[in-house]
Amino acid sequence: MSITDLIYLSQKSLRSNILRSILTSLGIIIGVSSVITMISIGSGARIEVEQQIERFGSNNLIVRSQSSSNRGVSMGTNSVNTLTLKDMEALKEELPAIKAIAPRVSLSTQIVANGNNWLATVTGTTNDYFDLGNWKFENGRSFEDEEINSGSRVAIIGKTVQKNLFDTDNPIDEVIRINKVPFTVIGLLDAKGGTAWADLDDTVIVPLKTAKQRLVAKKFPGDQIRSMTINVRSSELLFKTEKDVDTVMRKLHKISANGNPDFVIRNYAQFLNARQESSRVMSILLATVAGISLIVGGIGIMNIMLVTVTERTKEIGVCMSVGAKKRDILLQFLIESLMISLIGGLIGIALGLGVIFGVSEYFKWKMSLDYISIVLSFVFSSSIGIIFGFYPARKAANLNPIDALRYE
Amino acid sequence: MININSLSKEYVMGDNKLLALNNIDLSIKEGDFVSIMGSSGSGKSTLMNIIGCLDVPSSGDYFFRDNNVSTLNSNNLAELRNKDIGFVFQNFNLLPRLNAVENVVLPLLYSGKDSKERNKLALKALESVGLKDRLYHRPNQLSGGQQQRVSIARAIAGSPKLILADEPTGALDSKTGLEIMKILNDLNEKGITIVLVTHEDEIAKYGSRIIKMKDGKILEDKKNVNN
Repeated sequence: MSITDLIYLSQKSLRSNILRSILTSLGIIIGVSSVITMISIGSGARIEVEQQIERFGSNNLIVRSQSSSNRGVSMGTNSVNTLTLKDMEALKEELPAIKAIAPRVSLSTQIVANGNNWLATVTGTTNDYFDLGNWKFENGRSFEDEEINSGSRVAIIGKTVQKNLFDTDNPIDEVIRINKVPFTVIGLLDAKGGTAWADLDDTVIVPLKTAKQRLVAKKFPGDQIRSMTINVRSSELLFKTEKDVDTVMRKLHKISANGNPDFVIRNYAQFLNARQESSRVMSILLATVAGISLIVGGIGIMNIMLVTVTERTKEIGVCMSVGAKKRDILLQFLIESLMISLIGGLIGIALGLGVIFGVSEYFKWKMSLDYISIVLSFVFSSSIGIIFGFYPARKAANLNPIDALRYE
Repeated sequence: MININSLSKEYVMGDNKLLALNNIDLSIKEGDFVSIMGSSGSGKSTLMNIIGCLDVPSSGDYFFRDNNVSTLNSNNLAELRNKDIGFVFQNFNLLPRLNAVENVVLPLLYSGKDSKERNKLALKALESVGLKDRLYHRPNQLSGGQQQRVSIARAIAGSPKLILADEPTGALDSKTGLEIMKILNDLNEKGITIVLVTHEDEIAKYGSRIIKMKDGKILEDKKNVNN
């Protein structure tokens, strides 16, 4: 008896009880859709985290100046720059876990070139900034030591700035005016894309010294800086280093352990961890639902198949009398339960896709559909069908032809 | 074709042992039409089931076309039933979800014939029992006589050597019953051996040989001179 004949016979008997077949597969439907949703939540979170690391670099802490409240009056975010290059040197010296630190001064200003105007954020920093922020060059180069030390008027621009000033033309060696000061463009950065709150490509980067001398001399006098990006040697050291930085900074700024600091440390990993943690909790929840409903679904299939075998005892006897072997009967019932579970699997996949679509639209969660999860669902549901269908099928196959024929 | 030597069949029901067949000797030649008669409990159905390889004897030998059936396993028995034996039951025993053709195709499915040949054989069998215009009706859309014809078509589709009919007219009115008997008679005339179980003299007399059973023993075995 060929497999197509078996499938034909099975679908006949399933269709004669279509409501029962679908109700039976309900457990599988819920189980499979949970599996699919679970996997795509998990891999969506993973991909999002990877993308964020790609954008912002990994193992970074950002220390930023913060106006400490002075007798209860906040001085405003940008009013005071409490960080200095001395702080940076001290941190480097005190904490061996720190691999590199990129200082940063910044201002928002008018850029003019090619007869075009554009308002962009200008950053003054060192070459470390590019490594730490995972910036890559589409064209041109980073700063040379001579340019950094002498305060040359050279600039590296992001894609958005290029687009608005030069359209698609090569900006290298062109002159742009930042705050009326002419700069020569020496590099063009690769696009990173926007985040929800900022366009990372809307940037102009110049050497720290140049910025301090020519652009922000008033805003960042002496060795004041706006912030620094600290790169930690490994992710295991990240959280410990965050505490150490806090301690050292408090010591440098003479702030007691429970005093109000004049700086703030941002650990991007914190956000990523929270994101991963919440999707992990969600995944565990769904995995539990999936596991329970797959088992319950399997038991449901077994239950219905046992009923079916009993109902069709006489029929089994008839089949045996016309020459069905044990194997034929076994296969037929196995295929029936397999079909129930696979139909459940298919409906479950459709439902899961719906849930994924709904959740990612509604919650703006990144969900990634893994083909693996569809394959896995098929494997899950078919093995459930076979495992839980086996006992009833064997019971049918082991019937004695005479007893089965006489069964009323 | 059939050789039965000192065959017994014992059923154990709790503490009681029931001797359904008691030391039976019987041989049936190819082409015979044998009617087995007897009241219920006489062992005629048990004998029939053993001849049909649905059941195995407790002791004694049963040779079917040189196969010692007592030594065969369930797969071999299934194969014998599939290729050499056709059953016609009192209650037709058709599968309710399948139409006439599909019911007739069923034994051919198990013998592994390809679908083209299966359908050809099934149509031929249905045609020969006069159901050419009822091919795609399901059992509940057919009369009793028509259902019995389908079941005869199912029995002969695989061109068996032996047809076992267990009270084939039992659920039919007498006119329809006679039509069915005529079909069986025609099949016998084409050379198919027929073993018929019945308790009606009217039906039994179609046989060329009538065997009467009682209490698991053969009481009488004689040629039917009227036939």
